[in-house]
Amino acid sequence: MSGRQSGASAGGTVDRDDPIGPVEFDVDAAQPLVFDGDDAAAADVATPPPPSPGRRWAVRGVVGGGVLLVLTALGFDVADLLARAFATSIALGTAAAVVTAGAAIGLVVLLADEVRSLARLRTMDRLRDVGALAMNSAGGRVGRDYAAAITGLYRDRGDVATALERWRGSVGDAHDDRELVMLIDRVVLADLDRRAEALVLRAARDAAIASMLSPAAVIDVAVMLWRTVRVIRQIAALYGVRPGYIGSVRLFRHMMGNLAVAGLAETGHHMAIEALGGTLAAAVSTKVGQALLNGLLTARIGIAAMHQCRPLAFNADNRPSLAGIRRALLTVPRDIL
Amino acid sequence: MSIIPSTDWALQTLEQWGERAGTLFQNRIRLGVTGLRRSGKTVFVTSVIDNLLRAGRLPFLDVIAEGRYQAARLEAHPRHDVPRFAFEQHLSALTGPVPAWPEPTRGLGQIRLLIRFQPHSPLRRRVQRQSTLVLDIVDYPGEWLLDLPLLTRDFATWSAETLALADRPPRAALAAPWRQALAAVSPTGPADETVMRQLADAYTDYLHACRRSEAGLTLLQPGRFIEPGDLAGAPLLVFCPLPPPAGEVLRPSLYATMAERFEAYKDAVVGRFFRDHFAGLDRQIVLVDLLGAMTRGSPAVSDTAVALTTALEAFRHGRGYWLERLIGVSRIDRVLFAATKADHLAVDQHDDLAHLLGGFVADARNAIRFAGASVETMAIAAVKSTVSVQSPHLGRTLSCVRGTPLGRTAPTVLYPGALPARLVPPYIDTGTVRFLDFQPPPGLGDDGRGLSHIRLDRALQFLLGDVLT
Repeated sequence: MSGRQSGASAGGTVDRDDPIGPVEFDVDAAQPLVFDGDDAAAADVATPPPPSPGRRWAVRGVVGGGVLLVLTALGFDVADLLARAFATSIALGTAAAVVTAGAAIGLVVLLADEVRSLARLRTMDRLRDVGALAMNSAGGRVGRDYAAAITGLYRDRGDVATALERWRGSVGDAHDDRELVMLIDRVVLADLDRRAEALVLRAARDAAIASMLSPAAVIDVAVMLWRTVRVIRQIAALYGVRPGYIGSVRLFRHMMGNLAVAGLAETGHHMAIEALGGTLAAAVSTKVGQALLNGLLTARIGIAAMHQCRPLAFNADNRPSLAGIRRALLTVPRDIL
Repeated sequence: MSIIPSTDWALQTLEQWGERAGTLFQNRIRLGVTGLRRSGKTVFVTSVIDNLLRAGRLPFLDVIAEGRYQAARLEAHPRHDVPRFAFEQHLSALTGPVPAWPEPTRGLGQIRLLIRFQPHSPLRRRVQRQSTLVLDIVDYPGEWLLDLPLLTRDFATWSAETLALADRPPRAALAAPWRQALAAVSPTGPADETVMRQLADAYTDYLHACRRSEAGLTLLQPGRFIEPGDLAGAPLLVFCPLPPPAGEVLRPSLYATMAERFEAYKDAVVGRFFRDHFAGLDRQIVLVDLLGAMTRGSPAVSDTAVALTTALEAFRHGRGYWLERLIGVSRIDRVLFAATKADHLAVDQHDDLAHLLGGFVADARNAIRFAGASVETMAIAAVKSTVSVQSPHLGRTLSCVRGTPLGRTAPTVLYPGALPARLVPPYIDTGTVRFLDFQPPPGLGDDGRGLSHIRLDRALQFLLGDVLT
C-alpha cells in the first residue's frame, strides 16, 4: 500500500488521503501526456543526494588547499618572471606575457572540459539511480522524466537515431514507469550493449593475440595496458560519457572497485570454467594459456566499464557475461595457427 | 452396414493418435480465453490475432523485440464441425467507419494461428532454421463457462445450492414468479411435459431477469438456458432446480425425470463442451471486468467472485508431463488473471487495478499456484479506446482519460476517482468512483501496426513467451 501510494504521489497526481471523486473535464483543458522530450534539463530529476561523510570533505580540503597553495606559488613565480622579463626589455616582457596568457587560457579550457566530463560521469550515476527508482514506481512521471533524459543524452548521436526512432514508435501513453524504463532498456540500450560487447570482444582478442605473438613480456604488458585503456574510453564514449583525463582516472578507480564486485557477481563457476579452460589450453601451450588469460582480463575490465558507464543498471537477464567472450576467445588460437 | 461404424471408429482413433503424437513434436498451444459474460473475450481474441498478424505493436514480446519473429497467418482448423471465429467480421466492426464493439457471442467459434519464428538458441537454430507455433483459440458465450461446475454436482446438490442462492437478495424478488410456479407442483407428482416446460420457462425467465437486473448478475446456471446455441427447444433444456422431495421418488415422477435430464445435460452438453474445448488447454487467460462489476455495485462484485471461483474449479492446473500429453491429457501450466478495460483508467492507476484484481482473485490464484502452475496478474486493455491526459483540478494535476463515451458524440475527459485499495463489502460507496464505457476510437488500426492496446504484449509474453524461444 505505502509503496503504491508513493508511486502515485511521485507521479505528481493525487494522494489517497484526500480522495477526489469522479470529475469530468472540458476536453480543451486537458494536456496530453507527452515527453518533454530531448530536454537535457530533464536529467536534473529529483534524486536522493549521495551520502557525504566528513572524511570526504577532509580529503577535499587537503587536496583543494594543496592545489590552491601550488597555484599561488606558481602565480608569484610567474609574476616575478614577467616583472624580470619586462625589466630586461619590453619585447621579451610582451612575449612572456603572451605565452603566460596562452598557458592560462589553455589550462582553463582543459579544466572546464574535465569538469564537464566529470559531470557527464555523475549524470550516468544519477540516471542509474533514477532508472532504479522508476523500475519500482507505478506512476507515469518518473519514467517519463527518465526517458526524456535518455533521449536528451543521445539526441545528437546519429548511430543511436534508429534505435531512438524505434523506441518512439513503440512507446505509448499507456506505459507506466516500469514499462517505459524497460522499453528504453530493451530497445535503445540493448543495441548499445551489443556494440559494447563487440568492442570488449575485439579488445580481448587483440590482447590475447598480442601476448601470443609478442617476443617479450614487456611488450605484452604494454599492449594490454594500451588496449585496456582504449576499450574503456571507447565504451564510455559509446554510452555517452566521453570521459576526459580526470574522468578516465575516476572511471578507472570506480571500475577497479567494481571489478572485484563484478568478478564476484559473475560467480565462482565462471571462474572455475575460465580456469579449467585456461588449463586445458595451457596444456597445449603455456603461451596460449597465458594469452587467453590476458584476453579474459581485458574482457573483464571492459565489462566492468560497461557496468560503470551504462545509464541503467543491468538486470539478471541482460548482464554481460564472460562466458560468451571466453567461447569466442577460445577460437582465437585456431584462427591464428 | 456394420462395417462402416467400425472403420469410422478406427479412422477416428488413428486420427486422434496421430494428432496426439503430433503435439509431442510440434509446438501446439491451446489458449483458453476464460471470462464471464461481457468480460471482453471476443475483443481480446480479435486483438490478439490482429496484433500477432501485424506484429507492429508488441515491443514486450521477446520474440519480436529480438527480431526472431517472421510472420503469422491464419489457418483452417482441422476440426470442421465447429464454426470458425468470425475474426474479419469483428475486426471490421471495430475498425469500420462507425466503430462499434462486437455483438455478444452466441455460439462457439474457433481459430488457428500459425506463428513462424527463429529459435533462440544457436544450437536449435542449426537443427531447425525456423520453428512454427500452432495457436488454437476458442471463443464462446461467457454464460456457458458457468456450466463447468455442474460436472462435479448432482441434481440434488445443484438444486439445493441454486434454491439457496435464489432466496437471497437481490435474487429473491426476481425469483418470485418461478418460486410460485414451483410451489404449485409436487416434485413427486407425475412427469407431465407441459408442467415441466412451464417450470423450465419460469426458471429461464428468472435467469434472464437476473441478467437484465441492475446488478447484471452473472452466476446463472445452466448457461444454455440463456444462450441455447443450437439446442433451443430441445428436451434437454426442460428442467429446473427442485426442492428435495418429501417422500420416496418414483421413477416416472417429476423429480426423477428432471434429475435424468439434468444428468443428460451434464453429459451431452457440458461434458462434451468441456472435453472438446477445455480439457486440452495449455495456457489460460482469465479476463475479469472488475470495473464493470464495481459500477454495477456490491451484489455484482460478490456474484462475479463466486462465479469466477466456481468456474475455475473445473480446470486442471499444474505442470504437465510428456506422457500425459501423449495420452491426450494436458494441464494448464500458466494462468494469467487480467483486469480488462484498463483503458478506463489513466496510466498511473493501472498498477492499482492489478493489485485490486490480485486481492479479488487471491483464493483462486493460491489454489492454482499450489497446483504448480505459474500465475500472474495484470491490468490490460485488448483495445485501447482512450488516451491518458492530465487536467488541472483544484490546484492539482489529475491523470485522466480522454475518449468518446458510448452513446455520446463528443469526446470527454474523465477522472474516474481513486480506486479502493481492497475490495471489501460494501465494495463501492457510491460516488467515489465512476467509470464510463467508451466507444472504440475512430481510425483504430489505421497505421497497419495492429489494434492499439494496453499491455497485450506483456500478457502474450507471459502466456506464450516460453514456447516462442
